[in-house]
Amino acid sequence: MSTLEIKNLHKEYVDAYTGETVTAVGDVSFSVDRGEFVSILGPSGCGKTTVLNVVAGFDKLTSGSVEVGGKPVTAPSPERGVVFQSFALFPWKTVLGNVAFGLRMRGVPRREREPVARQYLELVGLEGFERKFPHELSGGMQQRLGVARVLANEPEVMLMDEPFASVDAQTRRKLQEDLTDIFQAKRPTVFFVTHDVDEAVFLSDRVVVLSSRPSTVAEIVTVPLERPRNWRSVLENPDFRHTVTHLTDLLAGGRAHGEEQAERLSGRVDSSSEPPVRADAGGES
Amino acid sequence: MTVSGATQRTRPAMGGFWWRRLGRSRVVRTFGPFVPVVLAWWAVAELEFFPAAFFVGPDVVVAEFAELIKKGILPAYLSDSVTRLWTGVVFGLLIGIPAGFLVAMSRWARRLTWPLLMFFQAIADIAWLPIVIVWFGFSLTAVTFVIVYTIVFPLMISIVAGVEQVPRDMVRAARSLGAGRFRVFTDVILPGALPAVATGIRTGLGYGWRALIAAEIIVGTSGIGFMMFDARRAGEVTGVFVGMIVLGILWFALDALVLAPFERSTIERWGMIQTAEVAR
Ligand SMILES: Nc1ncnc2c1ncn2[C@@H]1O[C@H](COP(=O)(O)OP(=O)(O)OP(=O)(O)O)[C@@H](O)[C@H]1O
Ligand SMILES: [Mg+2]
Repeated sequence: MSTLEIKNLHKEYVDAYTGETVTAVGDVSFSVDRGEFVSILGPSGCGKTTVLNVVAGFDKLTSGSVEVGGKPVTAPSPERGVVFQSFALFPWKTVLGNVAFGLRMRGVPRREREPVARQYLELVGLEGFERKFPHELSGGMQQRLGVARVLANEPEVMLMDEPFASVDAQTRRKLQEDLTDIFQAKRPTVFFVTHDVDEAVFLSDRVVVLSSRPSTVAEIVTVPLERPRNWRSVLENPDFRHTVTHLTDLLAGGRAHGEEQAERLSGRVDSSSEPPVRADAGGES
Repeated sequence: MTVSGATQRTRPAMGGFWWRRLGRSRVVRTFGPFVPVVLAWWAVAELEFFPAAFFVGPDVVVAEFAELIKKGILPAYLSDSVTRLWTGVVFGLLIGIPAGFLVAMSRWARRLTWPLLMFFQAIADIAWLPIVIVWFGFSLTAVTFVIVYTIVFPLMISIVAGVEQVPRDMVRAARSLGAGRFRVFTDVILPGALPAVATGIRTGLGYGWRALIAAEIIVGTSGIGFMMFDARRAGEVTGVFVGMIVLGILWFALDALVLAPFERSTIERWGMIQTAEVAR
């Protein structure tokens, strides 16, 4: 039985100034099983964040359905904890206070909060930093705190929106390995947004590839890699390279297709005001 | 030759050591910058650039200061001024903080009050004095009204700005960790807006303090402002000088004893304000 079930998700935004409708997500359906790690991959602006925000309950969908644990999503809930690219830690709370925040909000008594919080800090390798404030941690440590804060709530699904995009490349590799280890140890259900193909393959059981706007699911690719994983062995694995190549091709195809559409569209809209010379330019890049 | 070379090398190092030690001492850091100012003041007074009726030196001012304390005038006036400021500030904060958060949190309250806020904020505090005196006479109420007025508007505006600056992801994080709207307010918006509240209180107090002196000069029955104005009327520049210096010291003390420690233990501790990188 799947934990997260998305059916024909369609999302439009109305631009506040021009009043135009923008289709952020065209028609997206997929599901994430319990204890599964699924990434969503796609060109920039194809609506990955929008899908995540709808699942998180931050945004309302225009049509379709999103269900978590069989219940339709209406608002944010601790069943769907989010790890943000910006970390979004509470600077006025200590490391321990940040991890225990969710437990406190859910009314867990103080005495029970602390051991649980400590256990999750240990899981992400932050024991000994309980009394520090977030700004005293490195970027990598801050994001590990972000992960611990969500996992301490034991959500149905953990949502992550490009969580490692704002740390340096070396730290990112380390964090990705740490995340697979944590996944291995706790088996949470994870829905992960990224535009990094290697990252998606390294971390996921399945990768949902979106086409560019108006986005649809181009393909759902199963990753044929054993767990536990680490970068050293994965990089030598031909299956890894195969999957990466396949996904890269899919993305490239999707982009060319999207540009054709965009050209046709802009040609139609701009034909009166702009000379049609611009239409050729897109093909070269 | 080697010996002198060695001493020459060590001397600046020693000097640097003492200099650094001095620079670290709180007392020196706090009062050091005033030394040249006082010296220059003294020099100008001693050289008699200006007649003594217009400009007096620090020695005369200190003597007058001691005299005013001995006569009990300064302590009495000072306590009058501080009581007025305190009354005004308490009411100002009690009104300004809740009102600020209300306007910040409610779209309707914002729409309804923002133009009013802008309008009333633009009327200078002292511009209210004439009508306030008509309403309340030369009383504490009149002075309090003006101080409250000066504190409330900058405080509200800075709270609204502070609430708007709380990062959206932080609010969303709290929501997705199980916080309802009320907990988001108490656990995210309130502490998140604290830097702005602190700034608001600081600006508000600064304005309030100024308004108080202005009010005392005009409403004038007692207080530091009254003392200065009274001294001027009697042609005693010294009293004016004493008043000005007392004002400076009071603000300095308020900042060093209340505002700065509060900020150090909260928003600085949390890394919520960047300490200036330029003047490190
Ligand atoms: N609040 C909004 N109002 C209007 N349009 C929006 C809003 N949020 C997103 N969009 C539009 O929806 C589209 C999808 O945005 P989204 O952020 O989901 O893309 P993304 O795939 O996450 O991109 P990236 O990889 O750059 O993060 C974009 O064209 C964007 O301009
Ligand atoms: Mg995004």
